[in-house]
Amino acid sequence: MAGTALDNDIRNLRLAHGGMTQEALAQACGVTRQTIIALEAGRYSPSLELAFRIARAFGVGVEDVFKWKERA
Amino acid sequence: MSLPRWGIAGLLVVAGIAFWLLLAGPSKLLGIDTGQAGTALLVTVAWVSMYAVSRLPRGELGALASPAEWKAWIGTGFMAAAIAYFVAHIKVFMAMRGFGDPDAGAVARNLVLLLVAWAILSRVVASRWKGEVQEDERDREIAARAAGWGHYALVSIVVGYALLLGFSPARELQWASHWMIANLLLLALMCSCLSGYAATAIQYWRDRH
Repeated sequence: MAGTALDNDIRNLRLAHGGMTQEALAQACGVTRQTIIALEAGRYSPSLELAFRIARAFGVGVEDVFKWKERA
Repeated sequence: MSLPRWGIAGLLVVAGIAFWLLLAGPSKLLGIDTGQAGTALLVTVAWVSMYAVSRLPRGELGALASPAEWKAWIGTGFMAAAIAYFVAHIKVFMAMRGFGDPDAGAVARNLVLLLVAWAILSRVVASRWKGEVQEDERDREIAARAAGWGHYALVSIVVGYALLLGFSPARELQWASHWMIANLLLLALMCSCLSGYAATAIQYWRDRH
């Protein structure tokens, strides 16, 4: 599957939050671990709702987690 | 519990025997219905495989695949087996002359047995994720795209039947009794389901590579 138009810092944020596991983040956001894996690998763009859920799980804003990829 | 190599080899041999009994073997062997024996062996192989998978630690299981992906792979396997069995015994339906036909009844019973085994197995696998998220927005997106493939498959096959029946000379349609056409329509539905499950499984697989 082609990459998405979004970059994300989910992996770094997990590590910054005491090494939160993918499983724990998945449970906090109400998704499967495979979805977190796909998001981290940049193979899936989340819905607006899921983006907010993820940001809330880390206690940051959506733009601190997801960034639009600037294309040359 | 992960299966040792000899265990995997043994399961593959038993699965091979099961498929031979279902698809190519004689209809009875030592007085036993080979269709039922093949189905029982296939279900046993699936059970043992699923048991081995279910013994994996929860984290490892989640890393392998999501519940929806497991469901798609199991559905693909069972539906492919059911279609192969149906097609291998299509001559039984060509010769069918009524609901009481014993040969067609035996094939239909084995098909139902296979589908019931699949439903039970899917329930058992789903119970492994009891209390957890079984499906999320990504699974629903993949399922929606896969449903499109199932729809295209159904339309293509039905149009194919219509062209075949509409443009063939009547003398070449001796085989097309109303029983046979009814069974061909069922086959079209099964192919549509297989397309949906296979498209789902392939999308998950592609997503990882």
